[in-house]
Amino acid sequence: MIRFEDVSVTYRGGVQALRGLDLTIEDGEFIVIVGLSGAGKSTLLRALNGLVPATGGSITVDDAEVVGASAAELRALRSQIGMIFQTFNLVNRTSVLNNVLMGRLGTVPAWRSTLGLWPADDRERAMQALERVGIVEKAYVRASNLSGGQQQRVGIARALVQEPSVMLADEPVASLDPVTSRQVMGDLQRINRDLGITTIVNLHYLDLAQEFGSRLVGLRDGELVFDGDIADVDDDTFMEIYGRAISDDDLVGTEDDLT
Amino acid sequence: MSEGGTARPVRPRPRLRTFGIAAGLLAFTGFAAREVEFAVSTFWEVWNNPLWEKFWPVPWDWVLDRSNVLDPLVETFQIAILATIVGCGLALPISFAMSRLTTPNRPTYLVSRSVMNVVRAVPDLFWAKLLVTAVGIGAFAGTWALSVFSLAVMVKLFSETVDNADPRPLEAARATGSRHLPAIRTGVFPTVLPEYVAYALYVFELNIRASIVLGLVGAGGIGRVLEAQRQFFRFDRVLGMLIIVFVVVFVIEQVSVAIRKRLV
Repeated sequence: MIRFEDVSVTYRGGVQALRGLDLTIEDGEFIVIVGLSGAGKSTLLRALNGLVPATGGSITVDDAEVVGASAAELRALRSQIGMIFQTFNLVNRTSVLNNVLMGRLGTVPAWRSTLGLWPADDRERAMQALERVGIVEKAYVRASNLSGGQQQRVGIARALVQEPSVMLADEPVASLDPVTSRQVMGDLQRINRDLGITTIVNLHYLDLAQEFGSRLVGLRDGELVFDGDIADVDDDTFMEIYGRAISDDDLVGTEDDLT
Repeated sequence: MSEGGTARPVRPRPRLRTFGIAAGLLAFTGFAAREVEFAVSTFWEVWNNPLWEKFWPVPWDWVLDRSNVLDPLVETFQIAILATIVGCGLALPISFAMSRLTTPNRPTYLVSRSVMNVVRAVPDLFWAKLLVTAVGIGAFAGTWALSVFSLAVMVKLFSETVDNADPRPLEAARATGSRHLPAIRTGVFPTVLPEYVAYALYVFELNIRASIVLGLVGAGGIGRVLEAQRQFFRFDRVLGMLIIVFVVVFVIEQVSVAIRKRLV
């Protein structure tokens, strides 16, 4: 279980990204977080794994406190939390397999990963993760030679190989076209269902949120303004989160829109 | 193209300040030339100097004799290669320690920056003189002096690359719970490796030329022979050696440039 209690994040320079946020997430949930850019979606995810330190309140993941945790505690926590990124954040100049193996950095001894001497069973896990996202045939291809959708799948495999209990996805489809977006969202949904990994996804597109989410959290100016079942969401809810009516820009659309 | 109603902007006038700066530079050049008694006529004095006649004919028998030119030239290469390996090897961890992106902590950052500032503040010729005094005339002093020189140049070039490396794979590595060093090794090192190799080759090119210069102050290699022959006024031999050096350095640079082009 993940619990945010009165969490605030103030960046150096005074920008308040989160203000007094309370949120409880049960194991195995698939949560979609929506909000305008700058609403604090990214900060919420990064506060959870300590990449951005919370400046107030308490965040617990399975009873482990994140706020004020030591470097070693943070590493232990992060190895349990997979993360995928809007821009994939792959190392372009190395192979897909090497990228996926990075997911094992939290558990493999430092000297082994530094020398590139990955244990055989970690390589095997990396291959299995690539099989799960369906691109194992690209294992020895340079990451830069893959399409956007394939790169994001490598990103998912890198997170999966951690064997995490929580998966954070920060705008995972914002750099992808509508068709690929649905495939990647489908991958995340399938992984959530098959492996029971608690999944938190930041999304910009409302139709994707409704298509794939079960619980929706709305952020506005760093505050939680909506938390409920996605079925209860209507135009008024979006008005509350976005401060304006839905426009085409808020929808990823379908293939038909492109033609 | 034009959107109706939008007025075209007025062409900006050349600014008076630009003329001011140009005039200032011109005036300073004139002043500096007078101060150092520079005059175009001095070119003629140099050109008509009887010294030039001593450069000809080149004694090819002497130049092509192995022990005279080839052996010292090989020594120059040995110095350059060793210095490149030592200097660039040391530059790798120091560059990572010096970059805001990859430094493990603030003390390491500050100490590595200060050390490199001191190293850079001392000119390489002075390092050579210092080391010749310390360990005696010869290739050993030259190797050390050139290693320090390589380190300084390499850190200057490569730390810029590390500073500008993509921080996003590093964030991904840290998000997996990685320790610092493995995160750098897997998240940053592969992205900067081609530049590192390219710069190391470039430093090797510089080292070949620099090791000749260092030889002039007694630090071994072809430079020492060159200096000895100059002192004997054997300019014919000097010219022969310079021709050989030119050809060899040219070939090496072309190969190195070709490799570097393919890398980056």
